[in-house]
Amino acid sequence: MTWELFAVFLGSSIRLATPLLLAGIGEMVSERAGVLNMSIEGMMLTAAFAAAVGSWATGDPMLGLLIGIIAVQPIALLQAVLSNTLRANQIVSGIGINILVLGATTLAYREIFGARSRAEIPGLAKIKPPLLGDIPVIGSAVFEQVWLLYAGIALIVATALVLRYTSIGIAIQAAGAEPKAVDKSGLSVTRIRYGCVLFAGFMASLSGAFLSIGDIHTFTEGMTRGAGYLAIASVIFGKWRIGGTVFASLLFGAATALQFQLPALGIAVPNALLIMLPYLLALLAVGGLVGRQLAPATLGEPYRR
Amino acid sequence: MTTTDQQPSSAAKLTSKFGFAARPALLVPVLAVAFAALVGLALIAAIGVSVPNALAAFIDGTLGSPYAIAASINRSTVFALVGFGFVLANRANLTNVGGEGQIAVGGIAATAVALYGHVDGLPLGLAFILPMLAAIIAGALWGALAAVLKVKSGTNEVISTLLLSFIGVWLLYWCVQSPALLRKPMTSSATLPESLEIPDETKLPLLTGDYSFPLHIGLPLTIILAIVVAVLLSKTVLGLRLRAVGLNPVASNRAGISYTRTVIFALAMAGALGGLAGALMLQGEQYTLKDGFSSGYGFDGLVAGLLSRGSVTGVIAASLLFGFMRSGGINMEMVAAVPTALVVVIQGLIVITLAGATLFIERWERK
Amino acid sequence: MNMASAPAEIVAEPLLSLSAITKRFGNFTALSDVSLDIRPGEIHCILGENGAGKSTLCNLIFGVHRPDGGSMRYRGASFQPSGPADSLAQGIAMVHQHFSLVPDMSVVDNVLLGRQRGLLNRAECARQLEKLAVDYGLPLDPFAKIEDLSVGERQRVEIVKCLIRDPSLFVLDEPTAVLLPDEIAALLDVCHRVASSGRAVVLVTHKLAEIKKIADRVTVLRGGRVVATSDKPAAEIDALVRAMIQGNVDTLDQSAASILGLEPVKHIGHGTENDNTPKTKVEALQIDGLTVRDYQGVTRLDNFTLTVDRGEIVGVAGVEGNGQSELTAVLAGMMTPSEGKIYLGDINLTAKSPKEITAAGVGIVPEDRHAVGCVTGMSLAENIYLNRLDEFTRFGFLQRSALEREAAALMQRFDVRARGPGALFSSLSGGNQQKAVLAREITLPNLTCLVAAQPTRGLDVGAVAAVYSHIRAACERGVAILLVSSELDELLTVADRIVVLYRGRIMGSCVADPDRREAIGAMMAGQPQ
Repeated sequence: MTWELFAVFLGSSIRLATPLLLAGIGEMVSERAGVLNMSIEGMMLTAAFAAAVGSWATGDPMLGLLIGIIAVQPIALLQAVLSNTLRANQIVSGIGINILVLGATTLAYREIFGARSRAEIPGLAKIKPPLLGDIPVIGSAVFEQVWLLYAGIALIVATALVLRYTSIGIAIQAAGAEPKAVDKSGLSVTRIRYGCVLFAGFMASLSGAFLSIGDIHTFTEGMTRGAGYLAIASVIFGKWRIGGTVFASLLFGAATALQFQLPALGIAVPNALLIMLPYLLALLAVGGLVGRQLAPATLGEPYRR
Repeated sequence: MTTTDQQPSSAAKLTSKFGFAARPALLVPVLAVAFAALVGLALIAAIGVSVPNALAAFIDGTLGSPYAIAASINRSTVFALVGFGFVLANRANLTNVGGEGQIAVGGIAATAVALYGHVDGLPLGLAFILPMLAAIIAGALWGALAAVLKVKSGTNEVISTLLLSFIGVWLLYWCVQSPALLRKPMTSSATLPESLEIPDETKLPLLTGDYSFPLHIGLPLTIILAIVVAVLLSKTVLGLRLRAVGLNPVASNRAGISYTRTVIFALAMAGALGGLAGALMLQGEQYTLKDGFSSGYGFDGLVAGLLSRGSVTGVIAASLLFGFMRSGGINMEMVAAVPTALVVVIQGLIVITLAGATLFIERWERK
Repeated sequence: MNMASAPAEIVAEPLLSLSAITKRFGNFTALSDVSLDIRPGEIHCILGENGAGKSTLCNLIFGVHRPDGGSMRYRGASFQPSGPADSLAQGIAMVHQHFSLVPDMSVVDNVLLGRQRGLLNRAECARQLEKLAVDYGLPLDPFAKIEDLSVGERQRVEIVKCLIRDPSLFVLDEPTAVLLPDEIAALLDVCHRVASSGRAVVLVTHKLAEIKKIADRVTVLRGGRVVATSDKPAAEIDALVRAMIQGNVDTLDQSAASILGLEPVKHIGHGTENDNTPKTKVEALQIDGLTVRDYQGVTRLDNFTLTVDRGEIVGVAGVEGNGQSELTAVLAGMMTPSEGKIYLGDINLTAKSPKEITAAGVGIVPEDRHAVGCVTGMSLAENIYLNRLDEFTRFGFLQRSALEREAAALMQRFDVRARGPGALFSSLSGGNQQKAVLAREITLPNLTCLVAAQPTRGLDVGAVAAVYSHIRAACERGVAILLVSSELDELLTVADRIVVLYRGRIMGSCVADPDRREAIGAMMAGQPQ
């Protein structure tokens, strides 16, 4: 493999890892607080759709992004109400939301664009950071990315700092590990968990918007194709740590990038196998971990006094 | 003598003026479906289609012809099988959301045996039975895979069955893409990526022999399996063991009930039923394997299982509802220009409403 | 002593006063018409059996629950806390019976939780902890992780979490249950220091020794009602106990009375009545070099070697968390030992499945009844025969009527009180649940060895006596009994021989002689004798 091809592979791995990275970090925070959101998939799809429509209707991808973010918050709020206040089964309610969103976005897409339209939608700009972007050969191929990725990286660093050095950070971790301790210290477990689900929704909305108006500048029905579930798998594989989740996202992103790279190298591997690869890898990743002791102790369990 | 029914015998009973005792476990799903249907009607109106026209198309698609009725029932049997599997595994507190993948591997196995297993000349119905058996085994193995991961490494079966669904669906895609596997021989570059049509002998016999009412033997088979599953859950020691492991795996293990075996059994059975559902779809309806074969039926079956709140009759009711809804939805799209996605919206609403109502149902029943 | 209805003498303006408090959970009345005053500077003990309503009372004061009737006044004003936050803000702090610490966080982070906003100042908090350590004698490493601390140290964390808030009212709910004798003394000393600085301490307990030592006043709860109060508890201890258990102390089972601390512990062992039974030693259970390392490689049980003869009761003493759970888990087949062998007679039971262990004739009464002993969501009959369902199976079908008939017979024999064999197990009281588990294990057809871990925990006096009479009866029949308990008095009363576990090792062993109490206590604290 030449350096140029490798740089392209690296660049597309990062690009394809970005949605998993953004959604995965949000989901990790929420799971640390004890709430499992199977609905990440639905939240991403909602944002992908709303951002695409917003960008198409206003002609401004920034407004599209904003509309995408706003559109996901009611879904995240619904998940938060179901998971915390109504103490619903988090898996079932999450899958229900995904079914609803899949139907609703498909319905709305057909109503707005018609059955077979592939309208070109204004997308988010790419930026090339100074210094890194100027490296010969790999500079453009690797680092010229949609600005949302760089914003996302900043958000992830901020999240890591908040978790480590602030009172909110330890409250989030305690809410998942020992919610009673949080309750007895006078903080509200419910409020913390609501906040974390809404944050997961926010991150998922960036992720979904990246898919439609960042990466391919169009919307297709059910375009997330299980990326939300991959994000959840990367949280598990990353052992509920930021570094691990980032690593897992990049790994799944690289596996996806092979789809486009191997044919370019003239290596004939069935297309279906390559599409399957990230899911297979995710399965091996979550199946290869032994024990559950790493998961937050009360993950998936609604809190009751 | 007291009973050990799962519902407390003191459960509140609402006696309506018809003298009909409505339990919340029954009433809430009905209300959820009604609510979702109302939203569906509102959406039809919102997209500017005449509601009476849409309804007429819906009813025509469900009950308008013997063909429509038979097609709906055939589809319902597929949902019901996946739903039974869900209920069975759920008794052991396992959530099998892998119906879609189990249908896919069942379809692959049935196609492989029907086309290349030299079964079409066999007597005694073996020609169509052997592909079904292959599908059952493939589905069982697919389900057991998730069970083994759970037992060996504690992998949550929701994640693993979901990922296995994606893998199964893409596996099917690979099978019909690759001429070395199940794709029909490439005669021209325009040859579609799908398998050959299975031989007539391997297709499921119709109950009436009349193609205008194509009800096949999947229906009696499903009824028999419904009874088997219901008896297994309520009358046998195996059912009790599933329940014990579901309620407290540690205490059950201490009492000599193997967690490993129970989990593998439960998920393998659920997978087997899903695989069989795939065989019914192939041998009773589609006859060729192609991309998109599973058609989301695995999720419909999952929703039917969720709706049933653990009862086999509940699965049957929900499956019939969804089977007819799908048919009606398809006709609505063709005749009244209402996208079938509407049906998906309604299903999603039902699941969310029910999930959200669990707390109230439990409180109500405790009173 | 004043019985409940008599007016209490006013000594000082009460800090907290409860009047006619009632609390119901569903149909169950946990507290009914409870009135009491807490005064500044006093140590007020709340005495009562399990289920008397002590914890509910604490939770009402701390705002976890809200009363259904009655009212509370705090510092002269009406007090209706809407949650723990309210109570904390008003200067009420509480150490709960069950710790609520985050295991994978440091001491400092646990203390800071909910106390600071924005950026954490861990260094400042560590300094405060060091000051408290000096003031109250509570040494702690501020940056140690909770999961690396001993039980006693964890409780110290709970206490400093409260003290750092400088509370006016300090509530401790059964704080001594998990502590070593030395640690108990230190804790009572902390209570003294807190009270002598003018704050009020509420100490919930069922141990009379503590009351004698420290209480200024006592309120006794029984069945959710105040049944007695006393301003001179040390002098009136007998009357208080009578009020607590509503019975004649003299008729109490010896072992039960000892556990309560009512009577000086007197060894009764087994077979005191017919000592003439021939005592040929037949080894039943042989444990040889049993070692358990957890998934992190930490040794939890270290080279444990012990033989239990038929007709012998061997007690395993020690503070909880010193390897007892691992020992019973391995014996029950729930955990695989890293090294060592277990034999029952000639049968090798090392790393065998629970099913094989049961089949060999080993009964297990697990320490955690709800997690390991039963399936609370199933019926009593199903639970009683959960390990022998095959006997009620024909062609795979469950013979439910036979099952319930047999279960009803056992219920009668073991005095398990329930609505019927079909009653949901979770609807039974703790004592009846334990009797049912015991009935299942003790009626194994070929029982040769019984391992009972903490079999009387959380039971009331009557149930304790019943459990011991069944265990003794089994022993008389020649069953070898291994009794694991953290209540030393219980072991001194019931066992023949005691081995002491400390950090997974046997620190020593001796006959169960009450005179050896001090020596055993020292071994429990890790000092070899």
